[in-house]
Order: sequence, then structure tokens, then C-alpha cells
Amino acid sequence: MAPSDVQLIQRVRADETGEAMRALYRTYSGELYGFALNALGERGAAEEVVQEVFTRAWRHAATYDARRGSVRTWLYQIARHAIIDMRRRASVRPSLALHAPSEADAGEGGPTIEQAMLGWQVVAALDRLTPEHRQVIRLAHFQGLSMREIAERCELPVGTVKSRTWYALRSLRLVLEEMGIR
Amino acid sequence: MTGCDHVRPELGGYVLGGLQPEEAAAVREHLATCAECAAEHASLAGLPRLLALAAPMAEAGPPAPALEERVLDAIAGERPHRAPRRRRFLRPRVLLPTAAALAVIAVALVIALGGGEESAPGGFEVALKPVAGATAKGRAVLASGDAGIKMQLWVRGLPRDPGIVYEVHCDAPGWSASAGTFRADSHGRAYVVLNTAARRGEYDAIRVVRRSRSSETDVLQAKL
Repeated sequence: MAPSDVQLIQRVRADETGEAMRALYRTYSGELYGFALNALGERGAAEEVVQEVFTRAWRHAATYDARRGSVRTWLYQIARHAIIDMRRRASVRPSLALHAPSEADAGEGGPTIEQAMLGWQVVAALDRLTPEHRQVIRLAHFQGLSMREIAERCELPVGTVKSRTWYALRSLRLVLEEMGIR
Repeated sequence: MTGCDHVRPELGGYVLGGLQPEEAAAVREHLATCAECAAEHASLAGLPRLLALAAPMAEAGPPAPALEERVLDAIAGERPHRAPRRRRFLRPRVLLPTAAALAVIAVALVIALGGGEESAPGGFEVALKPVAGATAKGRAVLASGDAGIKMQLWVRGLPRDPGIVYEVHCDAPGWSASAGTFRADSHGRAYVVLNTAARRGEYDAIRVVRRSRSSETDVLQAKL
């Protein structure tokens, strides 16, 4: 059985092979990178944050307390601090042109931890749909195409696109419910 | 086809805003009068908000593949190295014990068992024998640690001269690592705790020398 995240965190300090940290990196680097990129708007800075998150997690692994939250939440909290530090550095290094904090989230910018974590779970839910269902949601929601435009692009009857979109959303709702998101 | 059969498949496009205005108006009208379809709509209506949260995360894509190794390298760089490069800490042997001196060295390796001796938890005790002409006696308790060897050293019978500096060497053929220096008290005794980068198995002798500006004179030695 694969070790749990908590077990991996407990193992990273003693694990000289680096495999425990690699497992954590592979699980969380994508979403932490998305979180940082949305906050900072610059890929290099976002990658620096990801590196900082895992380095700090390694340094402070002994302070992780499973009773206070999941490993995922803990890593996001570290990321939020790393993003704030990055902003401070950017403010004294004007050459680093990072996104200005948004109105909605003054002081931090980008999505909140909760929004980012939820967003990432929705991404994971979309990954569990069939390619056809994922495609209609992507075209309709993310690209803003109408049912007719999708029908033309995919060379399908518009009725097929409509019913496929309905089934796609029903499937997504089901997967999200299974993930505990309502 | 009933109204519901016609409207249900439209709900996906309706929720995502992909219907033509007249189609959307027809759905809206039906929802106002059909509780069943309104419930189905309600179950899907929250999805655009969730999809909006997913959009920026999905658009970010993955970080550069090279980042994984960069992260692991950075962490490996912070890890205290258990096996430091030995030679960095070593310097050429200054003095070679003479054949005559070697001949009189009696080696004793005693596992400390208490019995009047001070205990040596986690270490082992070595008796230091005087090199030709010297009168001192001593013993050392050696304990391995991450930093090298911690050496507790007891010596007596040294000249009663606090001006004399002694140095302890850990020797192997071809090199020697210092464990540090000490002085004797006014009774010719010393108890010191020293550290050396040499690790267990890397040296085969301990040597205490009397230092002067121009030379070193062997005083005590033990062969492991």
C-alpha cells in the first residue's frame, strides 16, 4: 500500500534517497504551481515558490501536526507565505514584474488557498470525465462557445452537443459529490 | 415529446450560457412552471462557479519538468552530509614514530566495563602508553558521531608545566588528522574532550605529541 501523505512527511527528514519528497512533489507540485502562478503571474517566480515550498516543508517537517490539517493544506499555507515573501522581494526589486494584488484579495492577489484547493479538485474531477464530456465543458465554459458553435466545430448535430453537455455536467456533479464537493 | 423531455437536454447549455437567446427564454419559461426540471437545474447551477475556480489552475499547466530535480537537489544540498570528504580535514603526517618507539608501544584495547573505571557509554577505551623516555600515562574513550570521533582523554605524569602544549593526532599510514591541543595542569594531569574529523576505521593509531615551535615530540601512543 502506498504510504499516506502524513507518513511521507514523517519520513522525509530521515529518507536519504529523497523518494518520500519526490512522491510528495509529484502529488502536489502541479497545484501549488498553479496556485503560485495565479498569485504571481510569472512562471519563473511560481517555480521559485514551488521550490521554496518543498524546501521549507523538508526543513520544518517535524512541525507538521496532522491534527491541525491535511498535508495539502499545510503545503498551501507554506506556499502562501512563500508568495508573500516573493512579493516583498519583488517590491524591492522592481525588475521582477509580478502581478499587482487584485482588488478582491488585497494584499495577496490571486485565489485564496480555499479557492485554489477547490479549483484544483475540480480540475481533478474533470480529469475523471470521458474525453467527450471534458471536451464539451472545455469548449462551452472555458472557451465560451455556444452549443451551435461547438456543433459546427465538432461536426456534430446541435442536439447531440446539447445532450452531451447535459450529461457531461451531470457526470461532473456526480464526481464532485463523490469527492465531497457539493 | 413532452416539455420536460425537450427541456432537460437543454439544461447543460442553459447552465453554461451556450443557448441562443430564444432557446434560453423557452427554458426559463419552463423552469418557472416545472418543479422537477427546476430541481434538476438547481443541481447543476452551481457548477459554473466551481469551473471558474478550476480555470486558472487548469490554465497554469504543469511546472517545467526540470523543477523536480532542482527541488530534490536543493533539499539534498541542505541535508547534513554523513560522509564528509575526508581529505579536506587531513594534512600530511608531521612526524613518523621511530622504529624504536614503535617497539616499546604496548597496545591495549579495553572495552570499558566499569569496575572502578569511568564508564564509556557508546564508546571504547584505549590505553595510551608512553613513548620511549616519556613517563606519562593516559587513556582515551572514543565515541563515534556524525561529526567524527569524540575523544575523552585522561593523561597524568606529564611535566608540571602549563606552558607546554600537547597535540593529539589520529594516524593512518600516509596521513594524520589532528584532534586538537591541550595543556596539563600544575600536577601534570589533563582531562580534555576533543573532536576529530577522522572516523572509526579511518585511523589506526592515536598519538599525543609535545609541541614546540620547530618540532613535535611523541609522548604517548596507542595502536588500535
